Order: sequence, then structure tokens, then C-alpha cells
Amino acid sequence: MVALITTAFLSGIYSCKPKNTADAVSGDAAQKVYVGPGKYDEFYDFVSGGFNGQVSVYGIPSGRLLKLIPVFSVFPENGYGYSEETKPMLQTSHGSVPWDDLHHLEFSQTNGEIDGRWLFANGNNTPRIARIDLTTFKTAEIIELPNSAGNHSSPFITENTEYVVAGTRFAVPMDNDNGDVPINTYRKNFKASISFISVDKNDGHMKIAFQLRVPPIDFDLSHGGKGKSHDWFFFSCYNTEQANTLLEVNASQRDKDFILAVNWKKLEEYAKEGKGKKENVEYAHNVYDENTHSATSTIEKEVNVLDSKDLKDVCYFIPCPKSPHGCDVDPSGEYIVGSGKLAALIPVFSFDKIQKAIADKNFIGYYDGIPVIKYEAALYGEVKKPGLGPLHTEFDGRGNAITTMFVSSEIVRWNIKSLKIIDRQPTFYSPGHLSIPGGDTRKPNGKYVIVYNKITKDRYLPTGPELAQAAQLFDITGDKMKLLLDFPTIGEPHYGQAVEASLLRDKSVKFFDINKNTNPYVTKGEGDAKVVRNGKRVDVYITQIRSHFVPDNIEGIKMGDEVYWHVTNLEQDWDVPHGFAIKGVPNVAELLVMPGETQTLAWNPEKPGMYPFYCTDFCSALHQEMQGYVRVSPANSNVALTFSTGKNTPDSASTPPLLIQ
Amino acid sequence: MLNQMILIMQKAPAIKNINRILLIIGALALLVVVKVPMWRIDLNAPQYPEGLRLFIYPDHLGGNVAIVNGLNHYIGMKPLHTADFFEFTILPGIIIAFAVLFISTALIGKRWMLTSLLVLFVIFGVVAMVDFWRWEYNYGHNLNPDAPIVVPGMAYQPPLIGFKQLLNFGAYSVPALGGFLFLGVGILLLTVNILEYKIKRRFKAIVNKPTVAVPLAIVVLLSSCNTSTTPVLLGKDNCSYCKMPFGDSRFGAELITSKGKIYKFDDAHCLKSFISESGKATNNSKIYFVDFSGNHSFIEAPQALYLKSAAFRTPMNGNIAAFQSKDSLRIAKQKFGGTQVKWDEIK
Repeated sequence: MVALITTAFLSGIYSCKPKNTADAVSGDAAQKVYVGPGKYDEFYDFVSGGFNGQVSVYGIPSGRLLKLIPVFSVFPENGYGYSEETKPMLQTSHGSVPWDDLHHLEFSQTNGEIDGRWLFANGNNTPRIARIDLTTFKTAEIIELPNSAGNHSSPFITENTEYVVAGTRFAVPMDNDNGDVPINTYRKNFKASISFISVDKNDGHMKIAFQLRVPPIDFDLSHGGKGKSHDWFFFSCYNTEQANTLLEVNASQRDKDFILAVNWKKLEEYAKEGKGKKENVEYAHNVYDENTHSATSTIEKEVNVLDSKDLKDVCYFIPCPKSPHGCDVDPSGEYIVGSGKLAALIPVFSFDKIQKAIADKNFIGYYDGIPVIKYEAALYGEVKKPGLGPLHTEFDGRGNAITTMFVSSEIVRWNIKSLKIIDRQPTFYSPGHLSIPGGDTRKPNGKYVIVYNKITKDRYLPTGPELAQAAQLFDITGDKMKLLLDFPTIGEPHYGQAVEASLLRDKSVKFFDINKNTNPYVTKGEGDAKVVRNGKRVDVYITQIRSHFVPDNIEGIKMGDEVYWHVTNLEQDWDVPHGFAIKGVPNVAELLVMPGETQTLAWNPEKPGMYPFYCTDFCSALHQEMQGYVRVSPANSNVALTFSTGKNTPDSASTPPLLIQ
Repeated sequence: MLNQMILIMQKAPAIKNINRILLIIGALALLVVVKVPMWRIDLNAPQYPEGLRLFIYPDHLGGNVAIVNGLNHYIGMKPLHTADFFEFTILPGIIIAFAVLFISTALIGKRWMLTSLLVLFVIFGVVAMVDFWRWEYNYGHNLNPDAPIVVPGMAYQPPLIGFKQLLNFGAYSVPALGGFLFLGVGILLLTVNILEYKIKRRFKAIVNKPTVAVPLAIVVLLSSCNTSTTPVLLGKDNCSYCKMPFGDSRFGAELITSKGKIYKFDDAHCLKSFISESGKATNNSKIYFVDFSGNHSFIEAPQALYLKSAAFRTPMNGNIAAFQSKDSLRIAKQKFGGTQVKWDEIK
């Protein structure tokens, strides 16, 4: 009897416990994501690596990792940042910085559609913007940003790639002002900057056209307007409390922060009219030339600055709830969605209403000289109680938006016009960003959404305390979003940009034409290979072709020499790179030289002896035989400088023993 | 006078042997209670697939206390430390004292001791639960106003017993081994008392019918699962669909499933969304609306009359209010305008 009562009690209690939602994957998910051997994926997905300073490229829908592109971090795998030609890429006004925090990516666009030319990436730590060439999948240019710290709200573009825009996360004293001030003079001495970088239509070369100086608040994310809002740019901002310590609490106090609307077209006119002030600064500008296969680094000395305080009709603040993060513009260019990460709703602003509010001067006041538009005057409507912790929004091209909810660990699909929630799906776990191919352009491809989750825990086999982050692929063609695939990602994806494979596939360079190689140290044929001494400097002009080096026996190098190995890969075929490494070279990695390319490795031998070198990338059946020796003699020796391949044979007295039968 | 009392006590009825043995078993169980957790609060959230647990032992807090404190700092809840609760210093002593009382009752064997023991035990149980509730209220409501995450009107009082959703965490408060043992000992004590007295025969007859005992146990012991409506507590209850706290109870609704689980909603829109999306509402579920007029009591949904008006400005723009009578609806319509709608149009 007692047992009966207790059982009843227990079952009563336990029936109150809610069941966990099982993560059900629909039955045909495997078929939808399986890309058979020899078949290609439908989409390229370029994903930022965050703290690894790289970009990873995945195939969608298979989730297969196709490539890791080094951008801001040295890459020993192929010598990026180690070869003489690529070292200048990582130069800054502070010296060589071998790493950065790559948060966001943006494809170049023409008329609001992805054009497949370039991919822009931001360096958050030592403010820089990189441009990646999508035909070679290599970093082609890096430009540093003066007067900046925490390059977070970047690299977002105007819809015709007129400008790449970069806003700062950390307000700091400007480069020309005294930075040695007490930290709590933040509100007086610190300022924020938004840089407008122009992009040359033909070769993509970047230049800082002008900078906008703004109040010391933190700029988080931004997007350019489209169509009717083409002339405008929108930035989410937080820390309008202007706190400099314990931001966790002090920057979360105000009920509303802002979205800053900038009329960049007007700003551009003012810059042309000379309304800006030229400031003396120093910032590096590094360009990689695919003909010389080398980078050059220049220090620029000047920047044109316009102050928001002086320009009355360029900047406007729109109140946005609670530390907004995402600031996304819908494909029509009419709706601007703010995602307040501590807010319990998603505000949607109307561009037409904003314009009207500006015309009617419907302001509630001024913040540091910039007019603040009345919230209700700019607001189209609010999506009520979508979930907890909205972060990013993208659009499916069918009038809907999908937003990630970090705290409640889900994605929520809602209709923009009706502001009604259509569907919600749990993600595992805590999503940050999501990307729909073309989801931030005028023409989204609403087939898939890829969600990038920050917390992985039990999703894959455990790998010690440091786990990969997770990505999930959903099919969004139907009424309900369907989970198809779950795959781990490299580094920390903050942002992804996916594009139809057909746009890039056929433009992909297979090898470099050796006849177009204008590297000053190129060796165009084995007959031109040589070793040349100029005092203490020795230049080795060495070639690679399956399966030997010319020269592969070098003698006469002396202690104290600065030796430069200029390695040219003479192949003119698809997928035949050669590697190059010498035993025991401090601070230098290998080189991976593509067909038709020349790359240089610098070596100061630290003791006399014999140093083998060899090809490190499996190139042929006789790859293991692709090697050479270099002899280093003491400084005062008189060993002659000789180099050859196949000639330096041992004398007949030292023939190896035959097998005696 | 004293002599007479002693005589009465000496002549007082003695406890049967079987019951003495049961009392000893009870004492031993209580000694176990001193060392094991008495209560547990489980916290589940999507990003915590492994789950988080708080264990309340008689003398300290155990489980993921540090992790929970880390999470709680976001909402401004005071951190939990064993040293802050004086109860932990006296609880083991009280439990051991009860064990000693059990043993002495078994040895001395007087019936009146048995009854007093039962009364003391029940009083202690009730006081303990009330004290627990008070602490939960205190920590759940006295939040740091400078907390990073401030949800207006939200409180984080965990449930006394049962389940409650707090933002993205599902909190589930139940007895642990020690609690069940303590409860078991209480039932044992009650049983022994009953067996000692003459009413045992009649009681046994009733108690042997499980159909009476089981619902009796459920109704008496479970406070969070019942079949009738419970009032909406402003600032404390959360809407089961949208999770936000009730700021205005006049547009509220309740859905009670056939199993007795109650779902509360702050807007007809939430109720409707919940019905279509959750799959938890069946034809056996009962739905009630708060009467907009009068004393805001609950009306059964099919019986109520409805007015839809934009002037209501309900929390989720469902904009529907329910009325007991035609007159109260007519009066409201004069004030708020709008059109009358039927239950079938709403659900």
C-alpha cells in the first residue's frame, strides 16, 4: 500500500517533467546532402575563421572542406608570410603582425548581386581589410586602417562595390592626438571612426577615400542599402552609455542604443568638395601582384577625415532596443532589421519612414550633435517575442527573414510584412551567424540556410577540452525548415558567404603562365638556372620540374652569407605544385610553389656543414628522389662556388660494391 | 498530582513489537538522510545538453553550484553559498535528534510518544517546506538592478516542487534520495500510528482500495498538478507560449490537459499559436478565459462571449477579451468599440 502511494506520487511528479525535443532529421536528409564521388557541390561556402585569421571554403550541401585560405595569419603549409614575396602582406605600421582575428566576409557585388570577383575580409585586431581573389583563392591585397581600433563593423559594401566600409568597435584617441591619457577621459578624448575604402572597378585596388569621425560608441555590424536605399549605410551601435570599464554591466544599462544611418553619397560629395581635413597618419598598404608573384608594402601618409559634428545632413541615429548586433537590410532595400541581443523583440524599420522623419525633422533630440529620430517614426513594426537573444538576420527571397536566437538556441523564420513568426527550429547549440546564399543581396537563393553554432558540447566525438564549432545545414524550400546536416568547422565562423558554384567554378585558375611571370628572380628554363654571388649576398636561381631540381648540388656557400633561394616551378599543367624545404632553417617554413610561379626563401646558414633540400609536396612517382644538397663552408674557406645537376658524380674509385653472388 | 501523572504514563498503552521494529528502521533511514542529498533542482537549457544540477544536502549545497552562480550573475541573482544559510548548521542535528526520538520511542514504547512524534515530524516537514519557499522567493526576487540582462517584470523564483520555465532554462524541483527517505519515514510513522489505534480496521479497509489511496496521495502531495484553474500571478507567472511574464491578466487564458497540466497564456493569440504548434492540446483539453469584466474569474471557452477590438492593445495583439455575459460585453463594446466574435472563429 505504501509502495502504491509512493509510486503514484513519483509518477505524478515525473509526468510534470517536460520532454526534451529530440532532434529529428527528416528521412530523406541523407540523399539531399550526399554528393557522390566525382560529383560537385552546388555552392561554395566561404566561412570566416575568426581567431585563426583564415577563410575556410566548404562545399554545400556536402559540408566538405575544400580549402583553407590564409589571409592574416602566417601559413607554414605553403609559406604564406614566410616567403620573401609574401612577407610584405603582413606588414603594418606597427611592424610585421603575423596574425589577426578575421570576423566577417563580404562578396563583391554588382547591382546588388554577387559577381564572383573578390571576397573582402576584416582584421579585427590590428585594423585591416583584405581582398581575396576568387580566381586564385589567394589574398591579393591588405590595407591597414588609421585612427581605428577593433575593426568589427567591417567589411561591408555598397551594393555596387563603390566602397568597402569599416567601423570601429573600440573608441580610442585619434592617431594624431595624444593617446597617453587616463582611460576614464574616454568621453572627452576617445573617438570612433568609419572608413570608406574605394575599390577600383577593374583591378579591385583599394584606397581609403575618406574617413567619417563619429562619437565614441561601439560599432557592431552594418549593411549597405539596396535599391531605393542605395545611398545609405546602416550601422548597429552599442555602448551609447560610453562606458570604458565593466561593459558587461555598464554597456547594458540603456533600454535603447542606436542604428546609425549614414548618407554616404552625400558624404562622398562633401569629400569631393574638400569639406574634409587631411590628417597625417601612417598605415600600411600591401598589394600582391599575380604577375610578379610578389607583394609590395607601402606606408601611406595621409587620410581625409570628415567629422559628423560638422556635417548636418549625413548622419542620423535611430533608437534600437538593447545593444543591437545584427543590422540587416532586406532584398527590397525598404526594411532594416535590428537584432538587439538583449532585447525580447526584433524591430523592423522602414526606409521610407526614416526619410519622412528626416524631412519632417521628427527628432527626439541630439546625441553628440547627431539628430536622433523618434523610434515610432522610423519603425515599421516589431516582431514580438521571437525568442531569446536575437543576433543575425538574413532573407530567403520570398518575403521572409530568418533570425538566429543565441540564448534560446534556435532559428526563427518570420514574414517581414506581417511580422508574424512562421517557423522555429532548435539548433545545436547557440547560433551566432547564419547565411543564405545571396541572403544579404538583392537576389537571395532561398534553398538553404547554414547556421553557425558557437557551442558544440556533445555533437561530435570529443576531442579534449577544445572542440571545433558546429555548422548546420537546413533546407528552407518548404514551409518548415528541415535540418539536413551537421558538420564541424575550422576556427570560429563569425560570418559566411555562400554563392552558386557555377559563378566561380569556370573562372578558377589552373596554373600560371610562365611566360607572363615578371618576378625579377624568375628562371624561365633549366638553362637559365644559376648561383650568383654579390659580396655576402648569394642568389640561387633554382628550377623545379618532375622530378628534379636544377641545380641540385651547390658548393661554395660560406658562413655569414645571406642566401636567397628563388624557386621557379617550370610545370605548366594542372595540380602539379612543388614544395621546397632546407634542413634546419630557423623561423622559415617550406615554400609551396605553383606551376609558373616563383617564390623566394631567405637563409642565413648558422653553421658550416651539409644541408639537404627536397620537394615536400608529392608531385610524381619519383617525388622521393626529387632532392639536392648544399654545402656550407667556413667564412674564410676558399671552396669555389659551383652548381650543377647530374654532373657532380663521385670518382670511379668509390663505386658502390656490387652484389656478390 | 505528579505521582498520578507518572502512574498514568506508566500504565499508558504500550506499542506493539512489530511497530517498535518499524520505528528502528525509520531511525536508521533518518541516519542515512543526514548524509545524502535531500532535494534537487535540475536546470535544462538547449545549450546544456548535459543538464545542470543543484543538490541540497542537510549540511551543504552540492552539484554545479559554481556554474549556476556564473549563469545567475547575468540576471543579477545573489550567488549561492553554503555559508549563507544557517539551516545547514542545524538540519543534521535536527535529523539526528529525530532518529534518537524514534529509537527512544521504540525502546520506551509508549503510544503517546508515538503520536507526539508524528505531530512533531509533520510540523517539521511543513516548516522546512515553507522555509525553502521563502529562500526561493528571496533569491528569485531580490535581483541586482545593475544586472546585464534585465527582463522587465521577470522574477526567477524556482518552483517549490515541479517544473517552471525561467527564460531559456527549464527548472525542475523535486526531492532527492534524502527527501524521499524522509517522506517514506513520515509515511512509516503515520502507518505505525494508524496500526496502533483501533481505527486501524476501518482505515485499512479504505486504504486497501488503491482507487482511493492513489488520487488521495496525488491530490495531497502534488501542488503543481491539479485539474482546476489556478489564478494568474502577475509578475510571477509566464505565458506558456511566448514565455514573457504576465503584465496584464485581463486577457489571459488557461489550457488544462487531460493529465492535469496547466498552460497559461497572456493573450488569445498565444493560446491559438500554442494549440496549433505544440501538439499538446487535444479534444480532452479544457480551455478557460479570464473574464474581462467583473472579478476576472475564469469562464469555460465554449461558454464565453468574445469581443475583438484594437483598442484593447493586448500583449501580443490578439486583441480579444472574453465576457461572462451579454451585458458586460455590451458595456465594454461601448467603451472599446470592436466587433463580437465567436469561439469557433478564435480557436
